[in-house]
Amino acid sequence: MICDIRLRIGTDYPSAVGESSHLLRVRPRAGFGQSVEAASLLIDPRPGEQGRETDFFGNTVDRFRIDRAHDRLSIEMRARVAVERTAPDLNLALPVGEVARAAEASRDLAALSPAHFLGSSRAVKLVPDVTAYAAARSGRRVSVGRACLDLATTIRNEFTYEEGFTDVTTDVAAAFALRRGVCQDFAHVMIAGLRGLGLPAAYASGYLKTDPPPGQPRIEGVDAMHAWVMAWLGPEIGWIGFDPTNGILAGEGHIIAAIGRDYADIAPMAGVVTTAGAQRSWHAVDVVPVD
Amino acid sequence: MTGAGSLEALLAGYRPPAGGFDEMMEAGGTVRECYRPLADALSAMDRAERTARFARAGRYLREAGVFYRVYGGEDPGEEQRVWPLAYPPLVIGEGQWAALEAGLVQRAVFLERLLADLYGDNRLVAEGILPAPIVARNPEYLRPLAGQAASGEPLIRFIAIDLGRGPDGRWWVLGDRAQAPSGAGFALENRVATARAFGDVSRAMRVERLAGFFQRFRETLFRLTGSPTGRVGLLTPGPHNETYFEHAYLARYLGLTLLEGGDLVAGETGVAVRTVHGARPIPVLWRRLDADYADPLELFSASRIGTAGLVAAVRAGRVRLVNALGSGILETRALLAFQAAMAKRLLGEELKLPVIATWWCGQGSERELVRANRERMALAPAFPPASGEEGAMRPILPATGGASPESLFGPAVEAASLVGQEMVALSTVPVFSAGQLEPRPVTLRVYLARGEDGWFVMPGGFARVSQSDDPRAVAMQAGGHSIDVWVTSSQEPKPVTLLGGGGARFARRLPNALPSRSADNLYWLGRYVERTEGVTRLLRLAAARQGELGEGAPLIQRIGDLLAAYGVSLSHDPVVGLEAHARAASATASRIRDRFSPDGWRVLAELEELILRSPPGLGIEALQRLLGEMLTRLAGFTGLVHENMVRFTGWRFLEAGRHLERGTITAGIAATLLKGEPPEGALEALLEFTDSRVAHRRRYSVALSRETVLDLAMLDPLNPRSVSFQAGKLKEMLEHLPGTGGGVTPDGLIRRTARLAVRLETAEPAEVDEAFLNRASADFSAISDLLLRRYFSGAAGGEERGEAE
Repeated sequence: MICDIRLRIGTDYPSAVGESSHLLRVRPRAGFGQSVEAASLLIDPRPGEQGRETDFFGNTVDRFRIDRAHDRLSIEMRARVAVERTAPDLNLALPVGEVARAAEASRDLAALSPAHFLGSSRAVKLVPDVTAYAAARSGRRVSVGRACLDLATTIRNEFTYEEGFTDVTTDVAAAFALRRGVCQDFAHVMIAGLRGLGLPAAYASGYLKTDPPPGQPRIEGVDAMHAWVMAWLGPEIGWIGFDPTNGILAGEGHIIAAIGRDYADIAPMAGVVTTAGAQRSWHAVDVVPVD
Repeated sequence: MTGAGSLEALLAGYRPPAGGFDEMMEAGGTVRECYRPLADALSAMDRAERTARFARAGRYLREAGVFYRVYGGEDPGEEQRVWPLAYPPLVIGEGQWAALEAGLVQRAVFLERLLADLYGDNRLVAEGILPAPIVARNPEYLRPLAGQAASGEPLIRFIAIDLGRGPDGRWWVLGDRAQAPSGAGFALENRVATARAFGDVSRAMRVERLAGFFQRFRETLFRLTGSPTGRVGLLTPGPHNETYFEHAYLARYLGLTLLEGGDLVAGETGVAVRTVHGARPIPVLWRRLDADYADPLELFSASRIGTAGLVAAVRAGRVRLVNALGSGILETRALLAFQAAMAKRLLGEELKLPVIATWWCGQGSERELVRANRERMALAPAFPPASGEEGAMRPILPATGGASPESLFGPAVEAASLVGQEMVALSTVPVFSAGQLEPRPVTLRVYLARGEDGWFVMPGGFARVSQSDDPRAVAMQAGGHSIDVWVTSSQEPKPVTLLGGGGARFARRLPNALPSRSADNLYWLGRYVERTEGVTRLLRLAAARQGELGEGAPLIQRIGDLLAAYGVSLSHDPVVGLEAHARAASATASRIRDRFSPDGWRVLAELEELILRSPPGLGIEALQRLLGEMLTRLAGFTGLVHENMVRFTGWRFLEAGRHLERGTITAGIAATLLKGEPPEGALEALLEFTDSRVAHRRRYSVALSRETVLDLAMLDPLNPRSVSFQAGKLKEMLEHLPGTGGGVTPDGLIRRTARLAVRLETAEPAEVDEAFLNRASADFSAISDLLLRRYFSGAAGGEERGEAE
């Protein structure tokens, strides 16, 4: 499937900002069944310094710095991506216990080695309750693929999707206690659960192709960036996406921008701005299939 | 108990715990050879003499303003503690030290190679020598800098190693410090203070000097700049850090620019300091800031003390950090569990210094062992704390009743965050307590630096003694003391000092580009000191008249209004409002200790203390006495600035602040006192406020009149307290600031100031009315705004300043 992606993201500052530095992780990344046919980025006001690099995990990072006064920052990213992804047979995956053992024994520190995705990370601390929650729906002999999908579906069924209850700094324990939140919270809870079982789990951020209700036209800009989980299903199968917000395997409509240990590693837009007062940010995504 | 006694008398009550190692006394009760001259010297002194010697050292520490900051206190006055130095020093004999030194240098090489592997090709993990989670789950493994060892340059150049001595007399490594090892500056201060007390004894014992070590380290830093004029910065977390004093001290001692994250601009093109002359590149930073806080963009995003883009500058090879970002991973306790195998791989030999026995609970059998023996072990975090979790788990000692964490019994994945460590019994060292020598557990921190040809050790160190006799827990925050460390030598030491002339290159290097933040602080220091003086004088005016005129008198009311505008209540404990001003001044001064003489800082600290010590509800007379003493101190400060401060740019900012504040206050006071129908005594009050009574008498043969008073107090360009004088001085100061002179057309800042000065110089006393004075006040504050915008707009933090309207 080929999709066109458009992301518009920006901030209005309450008072003019003298200088600002930002990192963006918004371009779709290659690999995992994706190939990027074109991508462009427009930043307003025009940065004084700008560069593109690849981070530790292989994500594309755009770095820029604006050194004149501005009271608004707006960014537009456009990309065309081809995705080809076939769902693995989850029943064929190794049992949970064996995958955990293989991960623990890894002697690899390369970017996507399972070793990086175990234990607590900055934004995902292991929480005994969450570990117990995940353990209750799994067992050491269950296929790791089934265990992951079960956990994703359980979260989908038992948690309420609701904006405004959590923010980007909400920790796993709080989101778990609330049993509600947004895709970022669900992904963090699922990651904490899997890691609690000794399974490597990563955070994926990116874009989701959504279908308009039958018979209705697509409305522009109603979607936001999405987040889900990549789980390591053993050396044979490797990394597979699970979406706890929708309780499904990540399919061809899940387009990865970046992968990291958690949100803190790969926030789509990270910035250092000196300003006072409340900022107003906006954020709109369109993913349109090309046929 | 009087009179100098024998050695027996000195040691009469000294009983080291049985079975332990005492630094001074052998098991049989005889004094070790290395301690002998010290013990003899001490026993030749009577208690009064010893007390007098300690007092000399104490006086030095107070005068030098040596203190450390304790986290968590609300009241800044209480957060700072005077440095707790005890006596006598720890003595280590020449032979013993040589053996220790060899072990330390070997360890430093080992750590350097270990770090190069962790941030390089990760052979230790690939070969199964080190379990991957110890790196991958480590908060100090900074992924944005993975691979940074590829350049082949050493990633560490200044480290500390914590040692303890076991019952068998061997030194053990308790831990490594590579993030930002503190204490070296305090070791220096301990040395200077101890020399005040026991200089004669240390000379007789030929104690090794510390200065040579710092000189070599400084040369190393400057050589790294790759240019003869390159600058080196000391990057500090800022005045709220517990060791800020040390950072300022070391910066001054080594001739480095003290910098906070906000002073820097960083990116792939390099790192520059924001100065009042514009951005100035800085190629080398001695980092005393935890790495994760150093760059909010790529590391800990909640950090407010870092520099966006610093990591990118490091990756681009544009800046050298000593130590490298990420070197804190060497402090990982779990690494201690794999020392032997790692040493074999990295050095090809065994480590000379044993390391405290450690078991990492991420491995099944080790975890079982720790579980089974947990009554005899300390449990501690395997990894350095993640940022924002500094208060996390401290080592748990079974005997103190700390519960074993659940995770030890939970899944392996959580136990991996723990280690079990052997509980070391520390050696004891004699220190005086209430006039008697007592054995106290001691740990020793030693420092190593890396020059071009390898590692070298500071001959001495920073020893901490525990306040209790529990040999296990030693923490400064819990109220321990520190003592100097003497390494004795059979040879006459060569004189080296950095405090004197030293290298000629540093003498010429001095007038540095002034960082905007320092300039900002100096400017505000000038304003706050002057404001404190102004308010003190106003209060004195009121206090002197209150009794005679009564509280309701119109003059008192007007003065009361003025004071209220500065947050001081006449009727209601005026001292409280006054204290806020004095505190603002001394707090500002303490932020720029590196640019300021300790004497100046001390005067301000005394000023604050003076107010704090005064009882609440002072009577008029006591209040007047206090105000008088304050004015004396303030005059002392002004004198120091005038007599001792070199006329560099920093001094100009301070003076600009003082003149601007004095002009504003004086004009404001005159406007309030003289508006409408001036109350009785207003003219005298104004004369007194401006300290111009005598001058008036000499200048004008006529009696007081509105004209003569305004002429003298407002317009006379020769009266150092007139408003006109302030405008003139301000103009003079500003004209010499960077970027204001030389141009064909003067810029807005100078133009505005010049206009104000001319207006004041040429005005007739008759035209000086309330509106005229208010306009002068408004001009001063407009000039301040222009100054702030011009020089400080990019400065750190953009701190909120209390502005009295």
